[in-house]
Amino acid sequence: MSTGNLSRLDPEEVARAVTEFINATIMARSRPVRPDDDLELAGLDSMALLKVLLFIEAHYGFWMPDEDLVADNIRTARAFANYICRRSA
Amino acid sequence: MSTPRVRRLPLRGADLVLVAMQALWKRAGVSNNTVMVVQCDGPLDSSRVARALGRFLHFCPWPAARLRRPFPWGALHWAARSRATLTVPPVRHRCLGGPEALHAALEAELNTAIDPRREPPLRFSILEWPSDGSPQSALVLTWFHPLMDPRGGQNLLAHLAHLDETDGRGPWGGAPPAFMAAPDPRPLKERGRLGRRSQRYMRALVPASPVSPGTPLTTPGRVRFTQMSFVDDDYAIDGVRSTREICWRLAQVGRTMADLWRRRGLPDLPFLVPVSVDLRPKGEPGATFGNVLAFHFARFKPSETADVAALTRTLRDQMTEALRDGQIDASAVAMEFLKYRPLALMLRDLPGTATRETFSFNCADLAEFPPALEKLFGRRVINAYHAPSVLPRPGVGVFFNRCGIRNNLVVSWIEGAVNEEEVARITEGVREGMGWRPAL
Repeated sequence: MSTGNLSRLDPEEVARAVTEFINATIMARSRPVRPDDDLELAGLDSMALLKVLLFIEAHYGFWMPDEDLVADNIRTARAFANYICRRSA
Repeated sequence: MSTPRVRRLPLRGADLVLVAMQALWKRAGVSNNTVMVVQCDGPLDSSRVARALGRFLHFCPWPAARLRRPFPWGALHWAARSRATLTVPPVRHRCLGGPEALHAALEAELNTAIDPRREPPLRFSILEWPSDGSPQSALVLTWFHPLMDPRGGQNLLAHLAHLDETDGRGPWGGAPPAFMAAPDPRPLKERGRLGRRSQRYMRALVPASPVSPGTPLTTPGRVRFTQMSFVDDDYAIDGVRSTREICWRLAQVGRTMADLWRRRGLPDLPFLVPVSVDLRPKGEPGATFGNVLAFHFARFKPSETADVAALTRTLRDQMTEALRDGQIDASAVAMEFLKYRPLALMLRDLPGTATRETFSFNCADLAEFPPALEKLFGRRVINAYHAPSVLPRPGVGVFFNRCGIRNNLVVSWIEGAVNEEEVARITEGVREGMGWRPAL
């Protein structure tokens, strides 16, 4: 996946990419999450959260600092996407 | 007359590590039992549990299997013959005088070591006691830890509950779920490369053997445990740090252990603590049998525990690096190769095992008791928790789990490694750090 021009990231597209990553590497095939599903309720633990952070680092070029790991930014794939877009703007 | 064919389930990865760690203490005859305690709102019918277990054996024989190893050191495996030859594991029923007798009964379960070569690797007990005029009960599942991890124990209960509810009808829609994890599909060459990489990493992890509360212990005592339930006000501290994060919890436990170290005048050597990583895909129960785990190894000095927030960041950074470098996956692969070694040499590559030291202490978050098990054998579940045995070294372990709104904190220890006063300080230190209030 190309990081492209980060200032033009589309939140919908980023939400789709984050959701696809989670479904491909963390979730059981029979239990995919959707962009607005609560990730903790879906079963994501501390290690799974770190995998998502590594995905963001690899694809969007930055590491989410500790102070930004608040529920509003990490509760759902869309919350991650909104954060990524804000941070990249 | 022909002998029924033997079915074999090989022990893999973390199962082998657990067997080998117990073997370090072979002469002391230490217990490798784990108990899962499910408290219910009324009496349980033992015949329903036994019937569900009997039905389960038609689909999966491993609760009635025996541990076997061909001479001289072939692969360790669970062995079972045909259904007709299998004996349903025991389901015992006991009436206790009151709630105060429950704890003693549970510690007896932990200490009555299962010998998986001669008896089924698990057993059930239903304990019943009067409480305010209405009887309460606990379903206790005790197993030889290498058979299953705590999540597997929950999965087994879920299968039994399903068979209890679908009595007389086709369970699982006619197709039983996979009870074991599939073997690693990667080619041997690739797994060999990963395994060697993990060995190099492990050897370089800590310069010296870790010290633990059990280090000076020559004659291990009984396994003890304490369990307390709490409720929490805050999911986050200052709106930032999730108190459910394993790094935060480990830092809290580390702080209480450092206090123990200071009081005992132990050296400021790095703690080495294994953090188990559940390899099951999220969102569905996954495998029941086998410990489906990889390990990350946290390292920090007692003197680094004063600032819990800073320590949490350090621990998260270590975990991130291990994940980035593929070391957690490599640890799971390396453990698979233990099957090619004699028992005495299995742990050669873990730090400190030459002196029977393994880790500084144990710590794990055994996660959520599944909401799907709110009702079990016709009764409502009030609370559920796990109490694993710990080995004489490290001699103490702290375990978290959650059931509904209750946060359970279990401290297991070996008599002689720590005492009740020290355990009370550990419990209170963690409670205070987590900001929990006692549950009513």
